[in-house]
Amino acid sequence: MTDQRLELEQLAEAGYEYGFTTDLDTDIAPPGLDEGTIRLISAKKNEPDWLLEWRLKALAAWQAMEEPDWAKLEIDPIDYQSISYWAAPKPKPQLESMDEVDPEIREMFDKLGIPLHEQKMLSNVAVDAIVDSVSVTTTFKETLAEAGVIFCSFSEAVNDHPDLVREHLGSVVPVRDNYFAALNSAVFSDGSFCYIPAGVRCPMELSTYFRINSQNTGQFERTLIVAEEGSHVSYLEGCTAPMRDENQLHAAVVELVAKDRAEIKYSTVQNWYPGDENGVGGIYNFVTKRGRAHTDAKISWTQVETGSAITWKYPSVILQGDRSVGEFYSVALSSKRQQADTGTKMVHIGADTTSTIISKGISAGRGQNTYRGLVKTMRSAENARNYTQCDSLLLGKDCGANTIPYIEVKNPTAQVEHEASTSTVGEDQLYYCRQRGMSEEDAMSMIVNGFCREVFDELPMEFAVEAQRLLSVSLEGSVG
Amino acid sequence: MTVGTPATAEAARAPVHAGSNVEAIVYPTRRDEAWRYAPHADLGRLTFGRPADSPGDAPLGIEGRAPVIEGLRIVVVDGRFDPLRSDLADLPEGLELLPLATAIEERPDDVAAHFAADPNEPDAFVSLNRLNGRDGAFVRVDEGCRLEQPIHLVDISTSRPDGPATCTGAVIHLARGASCSIVETHLGTGSGFGGSNLRSTITLAADASLTHVVLQDVPAEQIQLTRIEVHVAESSHFRARAFNLGASYGRLDYRVELIGEGAMADLAGLYAGNGDQTLDQQITVIHRVADCTSRQAFRGILDDRSTGVFNGAIEVSPGADGTDAEQSNDNLLLSTRAEVNTQPRLEILADEVACKHGATVGQLDDDALYYLRSRGVPADQARQLLIAGFAEQTVDEIEIDAVRAWVAERLGHGAVDADA
Amino acid sequence: MLHVENLTASIGGTQILKGLDLAIGEGEVHAVMGPNGSGKSTLAHALAGREGYELSGRVTLDGADLLDLEPEERAAAGLFMGFQYPVEIPGVNNMYFLRTALNSVRKARGDDEISARDFLGLAREALELVEMKQDFLNRAVNAGFSGGEKKRNEILQMAIMQPRLAVLDETDSGLDIDALRIIASGINSLRGPERSMIVITHYQRLLDYLKPDFVHVLVDGRIVESGDHTLATHLEDHGYADFVNHDLDDVPDRSLSGAAS
Repeated sequence: MTDQRLELEQLAEAGYEYGFTTDLDTDIAPPGLDEGTIRLISAKKNEPDWLLEWRLKALAAWQAMEEPDWAKLEIDPIDYQSISYWAAPKPKPQLESMDEVDPEIREMFDKLGIPLHEQKMLSNVAVDAIVDSVSVTTTFKETLAEAGVIFCSFSEAVNDHPDLVREHLGSVVPVRDNYFAALNSAVFSDGSFCYIPAGVRCPMELSTYFRINSQNTGQFERTLIVAEEGSHVSYLEGCTAPMRDENQLHAAVVELVAKDRAEIKYSTVQNWYPGDENGVGGIYNFVTKRGRAHTDAKISWTQVETGSAITWKYPSVILQGDRSVGEFYSVALSSKRQQADTGTKMVHIGADTTSTIISKGISAGRGQNTYRGLVKTMRSAENARNYTQCDSLLLGKDCGANTIPYIEVKNPTAQVEHEASTSTVGEDQLYYCRQRGMSEEDAMSMIVNGFCREVFDELPMEFAVEAQRLLSVSLEGSVG
Repeated sequence: MTVGTPATAEAARAPVHAGSNVEAIVYPTRRDEAWRYAPHADLGRLTFGRPADSPGDAPLGIEGRAPVIEGLRIVVVDGRFDPLRSDLADLPEGLELLPLATAIEERPDDVAAHFAADPNEPDAFVSLNRLNGRDGAFVRVDEGCRLEQPIHLVDISTSRPDGPATCTGAVIHLARGASCSIVETHLGTGSGFGGSNLRSTITLAADASLTHVVLQDVPAEQIQLTRIEVHVAESSHFRARAFNLGASYGRLDYRVELIGEGAMADLAGLYAGNGDQTLDQQITVIHRVADCTSRQAFRGILDDRSTGVFNGAIEVSPGADGTDAEQSNDNLLLSTRAEVNTQPRLEILADEVACKHGATVGQLDDDALYYLRSRGVPADQARQLLIAGFAEQTVDEIEIDAVRAWVAERLGHGAVDADA
Repeated sequence: MLHVENLTASIGGTQILKGLDLAIGEGEVHAVMGPNGSGKSTLAHALAGREGYELSGRVTLDGADLLDLEPEERAAAGLFMGFQYPVEIPGVNNMYFLRTALNSVRKARGDDEISARDFLGLAREALELVEMKQDFLNRAVNAGFSGGEKKRNEILQMAIMQPRLAVLDETDSGLDIDALRIIASGINSLRGPERSMIVITHYQRLLDYLKPDFVHVLVDGRIVESGDHTLATHLEDHGYADFVNHDLDDVPDRSLSGAAS
């Protein structure tokens, strides 16, 4: 099974391969953010009043907040007034079938390796493709509808399923949760919505591909997944962006609701443009992801973070119901001048809740990698269990690795274990591989992939291959 | 921010009128990682100023609450050296031991660094100590001198109503190849609100070896802040054993820098809280150069509504290859309302390192309790035995019998026996 | 096929090999014996190309100058080293490791990659040879292996790599009698007219199985005696006393593992 998963030898070319731009005719708002911007976005999208009110409330909250500065990140000041908060490929009529998708967009996704044409598609993955904040197409809608699964763009959901959206929007990540979540709540333009009815096992993997194409735009998408009682869904998310010299802001919010006995598995392969060796350009990836797990529910986050100039994200689980389960599996790579401050929060509220955190951080070049995680057990969390393992691998003299766990325990029956290590690839490991005939680069790539094995094993097959390939590409030039 | 005091002997002698400087000091808030779990309202109630000219009026026999350690002793009451309670007779050759106030007068060069402001250290309470802690102890052990008997530094705060929080300093220097043991005992009297703010600066020259014990047991109404700054030179060995037991808020803050190759820091501590206590350990060990070793092993036992905090960092500077660092923090929660916040941190900027850390939080092992009870040990005693066993690791390697006996007594169980 | 002329090796200023000569012909098995610290493992690593040594002299394998080559190039030239302490690589599947190794070598020689089916066949044969089950291939390379499993894994790798020259560094150390028999019969069945071997060992018992064509005694960085396999018997009975200088430097066998890290 595993031997065909790693095809590292195909990795001839170094560098970022998704750095192309596509010439799309784009409807773009002038830069700047005030109430007028919000009203413009809301009007463009024909939104109901309640949503406009919600956005305005978020804007007011955001304006009163300060940018967080506690992360181990060096961030050039962001001028929020120089960003355009609305960019959409145009025109965007209602599509009757996939064949009506703009050929240029189709071609762009083909180039990304994500065919939108149903005949060419991976047979078991439904895709929502999002370009510059706007969903351009969703595949396999009919097949999903037969199972009662709703999978559509956020805008469509607001239109077609307003009650579902209204009930759950902001229920896991409130508008004033943090600076970037508030910003997203005010200006989010689109995203994916997914609803799994009670007792339904989603017949295929659901997937969103995000693509930033335009210049000077931010991407602020919003994902909401609601899994009703006893349902099950696996969701994949992939991201790329063109190479540009300026930094671009991506501030997304993902909310997961897992009702009793439901299970949500959310996997991310994040490969936004990381900037160049000198730290010029790249995506600022400031993302809030959180799930609420009700009784006997399970939420599992798996992430492979190889892209972005700066990553600030802590996919979290609120373990609200008794016996609910939270998992976080993460590989975060920082090379070139990338900075990542990422980890998770596991908040144990219900009794007999369990959480597992496996984090693998890799620092290379001049990269800085920080694991930051919170494990909190409330007084009510009788017999809560957490196991955390954070391993860091340092490749090179100029990189850094930090491990900053916060463990807060208020219940004496809770058991919390945290283990961490920081090490480097052993000379003897490299020598052993080279004696068997492998080049130093191949050997390094293999050893690093082995270091990440526990996380890759959690990814769906297609993503695992992609993740390993990405890791190897990102590491090229880090050896020696 | 910090009130700057120039690093000169002149500055060390200069009178400081803290009142005029206090407003320049910015108190920490919950947003400061190192002060995240501190009682900020209570800290704000503490006033700071210069100590009175003479030692406070501590009741007779208060020092009897300290371990009975034979030999040399400096006692400071409310920030002033108390000659009557101290014993500086028969100093052995190679040892200088005097009140800090005397050292400021007579040895300004040797205490200048203690009073020098560090622009990288914005901690308000360190600044307040620097400004107001004009007395305390000065210890200097000469080259090659190996002292057999421990030196005892006792600090007593009487929490006088309306009086300022007491500030005391200790300056400890071991010259090349010197070795000794120093016990710092922090006590208090009175039942009112009050505070003490202690700071020791320790420098170990090459090949020196210091065992440094802190016993903190002030009354539960008082705030107690202890700051220990250590520089460890090549092939030197700093061994710390800390018992953070008293105070409403007992804070133990180590900042240890390994600045010479082959230096070693071995820190262990026990915090045991009950009532509404918050016991806060802030540990930073910095590996500045290659091939140093460090160990941090802190254990907490939290009963009633007490809170334990461990914020321990291993920082490895660029180029500090060959670093070998480990850190562990284990906690026992004995009550449903007790709380532990632990943050074991690694910050690594060198590539050839082996660092690991671990933290656990749990309660007494039911199986072990059952096992003991099935052998006829009553439940309460079984609990005590297991707690004592948990504490044993920290007590274990202390060679000073009086300290072992004191800890066993203080923790209320004889299991940690003094003569083992 | 292998010619070693006046090979010297030093590490951190300490000379370990002091001018060693050795010639190995097609299909020959040579045993190298010697007391601790005589330089046996250093000889193996000098041939395989471990970093950290200062070397001089000349070593050719099938005419190619080995000392100029990187470790992986030596592997491609047909040199296989059985490690005394096989290295653990967590998370890397044993089968995947072997396939990557084999394909790397094939690629370097201009051959096509081996098909998955052919590889599986090869792997099955190799498994039988060392009497291991299929799941052996699905475990991470040496991670959590017992001492005996690690050594069997080395022989399994040799069977798959099909080297021109195998250098087996104390492959018999730490083995119980059954594992020794398996390893020895594995090695024996891999002997052939086009494969030569250098077997480094302390003990005669492996040599009883292998019956090497030549036995060399390495003392203080030089070969001081060569003979047929009866020499091994002599050593077993009399020790190295006959060959050891009184002023022998006591260089520990594993001195490198600390120094080169």
